[in-house]
This record gives sequence, structure tokens and C-alpha cells, in this order.
Amino acid sequence: MDFELSQDHKVLRDSVREFVEKEIKPIAMKIDEEHMIPDSLVNKMAEMGFLGSYFPEEYDGAGLDMLSYAIVVEEVSKACGSSGVLISAHTSLACGPIYTFGTEAQKKKWLPALNTGKVIGCFLLTEPDAGSDAGAISTTYRREGDEFVINGSKIFITNGGYRGTGVLFATSDKSLKHRGVSAFIIDLNSPGVEILKNENKLGIRGSYTTAFALDGVRIPAENLLGQEGQGFKIAMDTLNGGRIGIASQALGIAEGAFERALAYSKERKQFDHPICELQAVQFKLADMYTRIETSKLMTYKAACLKDAKKNYTAESAMCKMLASEAATYVTKEAIQIHGGYGFICDYEVERMFRDAKITEIYEGTNEVQRVVISKMLLS
Amino acid sequence: MKILVCIKQVPDMESRFRPNGEKTWYDEGDLAFRMNEYDEYAVEQAVQLKEQLGGEPEITVLSIGPDRTVEAIKKALAMGGDRAVHIRDDRYYQKDPWQIASMIASYAKGEGFDLIFTGMQSQDRGSAQVGVIVAELLGIACATTLVGFSYDGGTITAKRELEGGIKGVAKLKLPALVTCQLGLNTPRYPTLPNIMKAKKKEIASLTPAELSGEAELTATAAIYPPAKKGGGLVLEGEIGIQVDRLMGILKEKTAVLR
Repeated sequence: MDFELSQDHKVLRDSVREFVEKEIKPIAMKIDEEHMIPDSLVNKMAEMGFLGSYFPEEYDGAGLDMLSYAIVVEEVSKACGSSGVLISAHTSLACGPIYTFGTEAQKKKWLPALNTGKVIGCFLLTEPDAGSDAGAISTTYRREGDEFVINGSKIFITNGGYRGTGVLFATSDKSLKHRGVSAFIIDLNSPGVEILKNENKLGIRGSYTTAFALDGVRIPAENLLGQEGQGFKIAMDTLNGGRIGIASQALGIAEGAFERALAYSKERKQFDHPICELQAVQFKLADMYTRIETSKLMTYKAACLKDAKKNYTAESAMCKMLASEAATYVTKEAIQIHGGYGFICDYEVERMFRDAKITEIYEGTNEVQRVVISKMLLS
Repeated sequence: MKILVCIKQVPDMESRFRPNGEKTWYDEGDLAFRMNEYDEYAVEQAVQLKEQLGGEPEITVLSIGPDRTVEAIKKALAMGGDRAVHIRDDRYYQKDPWQIASMIASYAKGEGFDLIFTGMQSQDRGSAQVGVIVAELLGIACATTLVGFSYDGGTITAKRELEGGIKGVAKLKLPALVTCQLGLNTPRYPTLPNIMKAKKKEIASLTPAELSGEAELTATAAIYPPAKKGGGLVLEGEIGIQVDRLMGILKEKTAVLR
């Protein structure tokens, strides 16, 4: 058993790190303050191949693997959690299901533009009354000739504000619960798609979190993803993979805060000594680092299992849970180590603290992750 | 056109440096490694020239070092190199610039390279000798410390950085070797698709025994950290006097006020 990254993964990590240091880190604070990732950065990330890392070259992806993708999201999130989730939601939740469940024609039509970042992808599942209970969605579809007609609303849609390509879930009959759900590929510029608002949030403020109204939106029948009634399965399978992305984002946020806390503890002097000489601070650093390394092992393991085409359901739930809880813990302690300076915006750990919280909630709350893990144990 | 780019993998300068047990090199256990900064300019310039010439030139990347050196080689391939030669040598750090240059020249001799790019120096040893010795051994033209490069019809126009901020321009006919300095260009980031493509590029492996067996001319006797000095010079007294003394020191010891 070898816990080292391969030389290829190291080259990738170092290249991404170099890009992040120069192109993202200097503007991370501005992204948070202005609630906006500049288009120039989205374009640069697209040019780097960050938006299609693990899809084959024949669909204009980079042709790398899931572990590479996890490393990209992790490294980007060390500097900016908003940019990290842009990549994660786009890749795992939009490109992912089209690649896994799409026909060859659908893949050829939609993936090249997504993988090269010409359009940004999103995943339209959540509704005001359907969060963890995703089978209870009430957005409806009905067939009319060669089209499906969609009516309803969607909320909390990461990347929705880009109006790119979405994977949308709707039901033919709400009383059928999850058996009535189907998945569609939707161009969010279609008539009848209205953005109600982009939410103002505690953290990941540079990332769009969008509410949509869908009023008689007509989707060509060929945009049905998978079979009718297969939507719930597609959603669950997609979130399964997506959790590796969120775990990587959380891991990156935790590492970013830890790096700053460690450096600060060596610089900051009180009682004539750097505070890292105080055991109270040393114990914090030890606990923070242990949680980071544990999360990293589980996240990379889940990614490697997916690459090996083995079952990774429990591992993806565990890594998402571990890494998100590490992120909220580590960012909180990073502020504590910074003292009063940590509470003001200039030191950035307060932003990381705010960015961390959502990772315990989205792509399945950590309570849902515990359900997934225990189901595996008891089935 | 055949281009050779010589690169070295060096410790990241933010690592913690400690002499090793033999006291002739660093303890590598503490170090992170990356491509020598000046060599990144060399790779970038080679790739820019390839692009200028419509992709015709073939770029070979060469590096000497242990197994981990492959990481730097792969980066250079992901930046746009076509193929690579890795001279596997775990004891590379015991070799002096003469031996390193002799190995490179012995490889390059039979290959007929038109143009060789190297970094101005390595960030770790900093001898700045390898490039010029290679040029001398191959009997080709050489210009060092390039901050500007253009190529037209077999002639290189090299802008060189000289002492005291003066620049010089040299013209060289191919075949030639140039060494690259900070300011020459901005190295590109390897993109993910190019990292993927680099995986499929050839990395030939050679051993030092297959190349030159020159003996060393200079041997490292010892490396050690400098003795800890006091806290520098603290100026005291009335502010006007402090300013006068500071001005005097800057005039006498530095070039900033000249």
C-alpha cells in the first residue's frame, strides 16, 4: 500500500498550485466582497482545463482521472471556496450525469462546450419543499409531441446565475414519489426560464446560488437523460460522485486556513515568544492537522475507488462528512489562533470560516451522509 | 530545427535547508523540489520559438538527477516539449559543472541540435557554468543571461543583461547555445489537457556510464550554514543625524543613490 501521489499527480498538483497562487489567491478577498468570480478568472480556469478534468479527450475533456479532479478542487479551494464549488458543481453535477447517463449523441452535443467552459453547468434538483427529501419534488413535466413541457420552481442552484446548461429533475406525477422523477438536459436560456434571484449568503459569496421559475419551458424530447422514471437514480448516483468534489472543496478550505494559522502562530509574539511555543496553541495545530490528513486520506481513497470502478458510496459519504466537519473545525480554530485579528476580514480566516459551513449542508447534509453510511452497514 | 532544453530540478527555495551527513550537499529529506526557475524561462522560450516557426522544431528536454527528476521533466513536456532524455544519476550532486556539462555535451554531440537553451544558473548550486561549458565542448556560439530573444532566418538576436543595469545585444548564427535570465518571458502554466498529453510523450532513460566519464575538476569540500551574525546596524540619535548617516551608508555601500 502506497500513500504517495504518483509523479503525474504531483506534476498536476504543483501546476494547479502555481496557477492558484498567482491567479486566484490575490483576488480571493475581492471575490467574496463583490459576490462575483470575475469572468476573466472563469475563462482562465477553463483554459487550464479545470472544467473538464476527468472526462475523455474525445469530448474535449482533459482525460485525467477522479483523483486529479479532487486535487484541482482542493488546490483551488485552498485560496477560494467559491471558485472551488464552481468547478465541483459544474463538473460533478452537470458534466457528470450527462457523461454517465447520456446517449452518445447527447454527450457529443453537450459535453465539449461544458468541458471547455464555454458554458457553465448546474444541477436543478432542490425545491422550496424538497431538500433532503428529493423524491418529493413538485416541478412537473408532460409530453407534448416532440417536446416535454416543464412547470415549477427550483432553488439553491449553484452556478445557476451563469444561465448555462442544467441537468433538471421533474416529475410526471407527484403521487408516484421518486418513481415519477425524470432527468432532462436543459439550456437555461430557453423561453420560460426566469431567474428569480441570486441569494445573498453567509459564505461562498462569489458562487451563484440561484432561484428559478420554470413556466411552460419546452425541452426537446431528445434531451431526456436516461429513461423516464430513472431520474431519482440519476440524482442519487450523481450526488454520490459529487460528494468527492465537496469533500475536496472542504479539505482545501481547511488546508488554506491551517496554512495561515500555522504561519501566524510562528510570527505572532506574546509574552516575548512566538505563540506556537505555547502548548495550548500546539495542541490546536495538532488536532487541526490530524483532521485534515484523515479527511485527505478518505477523500483520495473515495476518488481512487471511483477511478477503479469499484463501489465508493460509503467512502464518498464518509469523506464528505469528515472533510466538511474538519473544515468547520479547522477554520474556527484558525480564527482562535489569530485572536482578534482572525475576526477581522484582512486575515482571510474569517472568510474561510464562513465558506466552510455550507460544506456540511450541500450535496446531502451530514445527517444524510450518516444515513447513507449506516444503510451500507445494515443492508 | 532541433532544439535542446537543459533543465534541472532544484529544492524549492522556501524549504528548510540543512547540510547532509557527508556535509557536501543538503539533507534532501526536508526538501520539496521544483523546476529551476531559470530553466522555466528556457523551456518557455523554446516553446515560443516552436510556435513562431509553426510547430516545425522538435524540442528535446534533458535533465540529470534521480527518479524524482521525472516530475520536472514532465512539467517541461506539459509546457510544450516533445520528448525527453533523463540521465538517471542519484549522485548528481557530487558532480561538478565540468562533469555535468561533459555528460550533456557527450549526449548532444551525436544529435545535431541547432539551438540549445539552458537556465542562466541553477538556484541551488548557482555556478552558472554548465551552459557555457557545453557550448565550448560542442564548439558552438554562446550568449548568456538573456532578457530578450528573437529569431529570424538562422540568426538569433539576444538581448543580454550586463552589470549595473546595462543591456547588450548579441547576434548569433546557429548552431548556438543561450542561457536564460529572469525577465526573458513569463513561463506558461501547464494546462490539464497538456499534462495528459505529456503522459504519452517519450522519456528516454540513460545512465552516466553511457556518456562521458570525465573526472571532477573541483570537489565540494564542505557546505555549512553561515555563522549567526548580530542584528545588523541600528542607527540611533536625532532623526536628522540618522538620515545623514543612512544616506552616507547608502552612497558608500550601495548603488541606489548613484
